[in-house]
Amino acid sequence: MSNIITAQHITKRFTGHTALDDVSVEIPAGSVYGLLGPNGAGKTTLIRVINRITIPDEGQVFFENRPITQQDIYRIGYLPEERGLYKKMKVGEQALFLARLKGLSRHEALVRLKQWFIRFGIEDWWNKKVEDLSKGMAQKIQFIVTVLHTPKLLIFDEPFSGFDPINANLLKEEILRLRDEGATVIFSTHNMSSVEEICDHITLINKSKNILSGRVDDIRRSHGNNIFAVNYRGEADAFTSVTECCDVLESEYDKFSGMTSAKIHINQDDDVRSVISAINEQVELRSFTEIIPSMNDIFIRAVNGNLK
Amino acid sequence: MKNIGLIIVREFKERVYKKSFIITTLLMPLLLALISVAPTLIMIYAKGDTKQISVIDNSGIVAERLQSDEDIKFVTIPDGDLQAELKKSLETDDFGVLYIGEDIVTNPNNIQLYTNSSSSMLIEDTITDQVEEIVEAERLKARNIEDLKQILEQIEVDITLSTFRNGEEQSTASSSAASSLVGIILGFVLYFFLVIYGSVVMQSIIEEKNSRILEVLVSTVRPFDMMMGKILGVAAVAATQIIVWGVLIVVMSALVVPAIMPDDILASVEAVQAGADISAMAASGVDTGMVTAMASIMDTAYIAKIVVLLLVFMIGGFLLYAAMYAAIGASVDEAQDAQQLTTPVTIPIIFAFIILTMVMNDPNSPLVVWCSMIPFTSPIVMMGRIPSGIPTWEIVLSIVLLYATFIVMVWLAGKIYRVGIFMHGKKPTFKELYKWLKY
Repeated sequence: MSNIITAQHITKRFTGHTALDDVSVEIPAGSVYGLLGPNGAGKTTLIRVINRITIPDEGQVFFENRPITQQDIYRIGYLPEERGLYKKMKVGEQALFLARLKGLSRHEALVRLKQWFIRFGIEDWWNKKVEDLSKGMAQKIQFIVTVLHTPKLLIFDEPFSGFDPINANLLKEEILRLRDEGATVIFSTHNMSSVEEICDHITLINKSKNILSGRVDDIRRSHGNNIFAVNYRGEADAFTSVTECCDVLESEYDKFSGMTSAKIHINQDDDVRSVISAINEQVELRSFTEIIPSMNDIFIRAVNGNLK
Repeated sequence: MKNIGLIIVREFKERVYKKSFIITTLLMPLLLALISVAPTLIMIYAKGDTKQISVIDNSGIVAERLQSDEDIKFVTIPDGDLQAELKKSLETDDFGVLYIGEDIVTNPNNIQLYTNSSSSMLIEDTITDQVEEIVEAERLKARNIEDLKQILEQIEVDITLSTFRNGEEQSTASSSAASSLVGIILGFVLYFFLVIYGSVVMQSIIEEKNSRILEVLVSTVRPFDMMMGKILGVAAVAATQIIVWGVLIVVMSALVVPAIMPDDILASVEAVQAGADISAMAASGVDTGMVTAMASIMDTAYIAKIVVLLLVFMIGGFLLYAAMYAAIGASVDEAQDAQQLTTPVTIPIIFAFIILTMVMNDPNSPLVVWCSMIPFTSPIVMMGRIPSGIPTWEIVLSIVLLYATFIVMVWLAGKIYRVGIFMHGKKPTFKELYKWLKY
């Protein structure tokens, strides 16, 4: 898979602090790419460097493997964190204005806007003034305007902030749908559940540095602590007493079903297969699953510096 | 280019559909009309009472020739005693007593006015003017020269100098006084609209930054297009306002003013408008030179040429200064911060007005010529120079310089806007402004 964006050794200093310190990311085309990090880590600055709003002090950004130019920017749809719309303008008029600025004809813009307004169920907002909308409502409008001209690359800065769970879900579905239609999506967030649900790749930025990058599955798996869930028939101590190859962290016996669920920790260098067969000899094994840490755990551990 | 158009339309619509714009646009001419007729109306309806002055004339020559009018009524008291009159006067609501000494012709200071209430400049002037005339006539009479008045009138002369451009087939007579007047008026109109609309451009850009929409726009629109669109949009609003005002003022002076003006006053105004009084004006000492100059610029082709040129300079000047205001708006976050930066912008305008007064003395002095080439002063200085007739190449060069500087200024404003965007909450220093230019 080729990269749509490659940022190499980006450093950006502001007066008094360094916002980005030698950060490199590669964003594969067709992926949903999450930029994670605590507040003030430098996510927004990285996004602004990528779409040429801010000029980096060092480093370079490539769009489809060529140095990025201003022309490429017009093929990017960007939803900034600071939501801004002209307050006095009517919703429809404003959406039309922004869509036409992005090169759509009046007719084309009207047709597409109508589709989107129906999809979001907001047809009756067309003649409302923006200042009468709530924050979440205005954000929907802005989302529509960002994606309307079907850009190849979409960049959303904190797209979920200000949305209720229902609308956040709607947004997730739309992001996935846009990816399926061929767009690449970059978004920054600290909403970890959304990361697990929709991101293919992530980069974790902390204190201006890229501390973790890769496929979500790989990252979660590689940061597993070798903890497994074991399910077997029999009393809780049935196998605690017999095995010495692993530590049992917790176990619970359910007397109605006669089953026990336990969490065990296997030492790094132990062979998982031999553990399974050892357990299997002692009790009637029903299931054996690795517990993969959530992105939330990884995030907190990484930020606190406890990763590995 | 397409985006500039879109931005112009948006900017224009947003401002023109605003209630405040509609109200000021419609009410301003009404207000102007009211202000222009107010003094007349006040004079008509709020006339003061006629003031009665008792005159004790010991010389016997002044009192009988004093002329009473609507404001003052002179009542001669034959053989009056000053002290007795003063006492008597206090008991009435007369204005006071005028005492004229016996030797008024030889000693013109021997005249006193005693008033019961505070005196007024108008009354004092009326009295001294009349008495002066009477005493002068009396003194002339003493010299025994026959028909002196007629002789003096025959001697008086008033020269009108007609000027012609040497070598031009059609002699376009022009009076530098009249044309400079046109220039000064247009210069003030330009200045007026700059002060109002320059800061509108500035505000518009500051608002843009505060509404945070700019981050969306900056990834969509070139900053140059953005700036150009905003400046031209506001210029279109200004033009709309001028046109509406122009139309309304014409309509109003044709319909509203006659309706509220009393008939007799209107009649005399119409008479003046019809030109019937020009000879009378000339006789009464109105500058006949001005009148003929006015007549000379009534040549329509000449007028059309000058008006077009002046408009080109006016628009160019407006755009250039609007672009400067845009650059200021782009470099600050809040209107308060802009205040200290707008002052340097207005200095060249004021300087240009000083130069404009020098144009009257000599439209071709080196300083004036230079200032009519420098874009920051040329729109106003050219207002004065063009009517006096200057070489075409000078006008063309000045126009090219003006519009080129405008484009550069828009580009500069775009740069500042683009780079200044992420300086939220931080006041820029001049050093930083310079740094941004080099990006």
